[in-house]
Amino acid sequence: MDGNQGGLTGDAFAARALLPGGLWLLAFFAVPLAIVVALSFGTTDDLGGAIYGWYPENYSRVFDPLFLPVLARSVGYALATVALCLALGYPVAYYIARFGGRRKNVLVALVVLPFVVNYLVRTYAWVALLADEGLVNGVLGTSVRFLNTPYAVIGGLVYGYLAFMILPVYAALDRMDPALIEAGKDLYGSSWRTFVHVTWPTTFQGVLAGSVLVFLPAVGDFVSAQLLGGPGTYMVGNLIQQQFFGAEDWPFGSALTTVLMLFLLGWMVLYLRSAARAVRT
Amino acid sequence: MGNDDTPKQPAKAKVVPAKPDGDLVYFNWSEYLNPKLFKQFEKRYGVKVRQSNFDSMQGMMAKLRSGNRYDVIFPTAEWAIRLRAAGALLRFDPGQLKHMDTVYDYFAKPWYDPTADHTVPYAMYATGLIYRTDKIQPTGSFNDLGMPEAKGRSYMLDDFQEVIGAGNLVNGAELNSTDPADVEKAKEWALGIKPNLRGFSTDDIQNMVNGNGWVHHGWNGDVVNLRYQVKDPENYSFQKCSEGIPLGSDCFAIPANAEHPGTALTFINFMLEPENAAKNINYMGYPMPYKGPDETFAELVKDDPAINVTVEDLQSGQQFEDLGRDGRRLWDQTWTEIKAG
Repeated sequence: MDGNQGGLTGDAFAARALLPGGLWLLAFFAVPLAIVVALSFGTTDDLGGAIYGWYPENYSRVFDPLFLPVLARSVGYALATVALCLALGYPVAYYIARFGGRRKNVLVALVVLPFVVNYLVRTYAWVALLADEGLVNGVLGTSVRFLNTPYAVIGGLVYGYLAFMILPVYAALDRMDPALIEAGKDLYGSSWRTFVHVTWPTTFQGVLAGSVLVFLPAVGDFVSAQLLGGPGTYMVGNLIQQQFFGAEDWPFGSALTTVLMLFLLGWMVLYLRSAARAVRT
Repeated sequence: MGNDDTPKQPAKAKVVPAKPDGDLVYFNWSEYLNPKLFKQFEKRYGVKVRQSNFDSMQGMMAKLRSGNRYDVIFPTAEWAIRLRAAGALLRFDPGQLKHMDTVYDYFAKPWYDPTADHTVPYAMYATGLIYRTDKIQPTGSFNDLGMPEAKGRSYMLDDFQEVIGAGNLVNGAELNSTDPADVEKAKEWALGIKPNLRGFSTDDIQNMVNGNGWVHHGWNGDVVNLRYQVKDPENYSFQKCSEGIPLGSDCFAIPANAEHPGTALTFINFMLEPENAAKNINYMGYPMPYKGPDETFAELVKDDPAINVTVEDLQSGQQFEDLGRDGRRLWDQTWTEIKAG
């Protein structure tokens, strides 16, 4: 804090206003994060309890070639999820922003509504719906095996994170001046070319933001693979969860978590750079 | 290893009497105790039962380690050994339990609690395979999990001990072998079966009831329970496998930091009453090693003796044991390799 006496300047006021949020982040984000990092160098006692120490071999286990396919699978599923969320979410956002009219806020609220229900509960609902003798197969009169496939896992991820794509894209579309589209049409004529040359580039930062917001949690997700997946859909989130609740190996789980966070941080930095460039131009 | 007779925790100077001293904080597997008995207990003793559940022994340990306080927990034998050795269990006076005399003599000085003053036996279980006999023809081998006709309809238990243990038995090794060569072979066996699997799951009841599974690595008592839930119970059968029968037992125990040990002892005594034990067996479908109530279980499975577990089975079969710290670590890491591989 600065040593300002008397009336608060704008900066000092802002600094103080940030204090509660800053303390919150420190206590519930920075401190636990530091514990995870510290634990990642630890080991376990006889009861499986984690103890601090210096055991860097946790990290050499992380880079065991065995786990590479697991990470590749997680990234693959997450990228597929981003692509599907974009394909499904962009038209929805476009419709709400351009044609929502007075109902815009209601429509946005409807997009957010499923998120009132916990992700885990919603995924359990899918288990019941998609079972071999579940509701979907019953209504369709089919016996398709939906569950325990990669498709079910990706479907669950899309369902779980779709709103994270719709909202930023909607915000970008809503900010966009509709006159730009009219101008585009005046100049080119076709709706498609207007979209490609005007709307898409204008809203690209929103798409990028949505993609990052979907990608990051999807890579680390374990719920979808655990409930909807099969033995061949093991993701890095499952691997980490297994260390904490299955293998009594919190130190190795922490090392995996730390490496995953650094990996995701790399993507985040790339995104922030791109966003910063977009602001400058 | 924690098999010695001298746990770190000293004997309590003061004997805890089996008298209610507050609400019962209860921690167990879900659906593993007849809920009607909670009501009865609450009514008779004027205390509440505060329930919570775990879905694995590791999950139970994680909660205990992080300082949660419970009055009564239900560890399996090999986990009771670890808890007892670490001084995490209350040493009580068995004289406070007036129905202890119904417990089988075999459990008078159990291998996991030679002084018989940290635990009370709860139930016995056997691991084998659960089949849909209208869909596939069982051969009674763990390799049935890899049957081509059950491709995508086969489940292995999501439990490191059960999977590596089964692999050891298939390969002719001891159930609890921690010899790296044996464990490696068990891993190869599991990885060989894996492409045939629909999943790793401990939810054998639901996976069979909803038709997703035709063969399921599972526990004997769950067949009793799942037969209550299907229209054609005669199509569901449990078989012990020819390679060997992994056996286990679990027990009541009171954590050393329990707030209401008196209520916990009262509850254990209540559960030991033959009438209540019988009610419990009927609900959960697992044999309890008590004279009298065991007849209830025999009646329950009289058409299908394969579901039963007897003391003779325990004596002759292979029981899960505590693997020791290094052995457990090897099994844990191997299990991770099976799941990720």
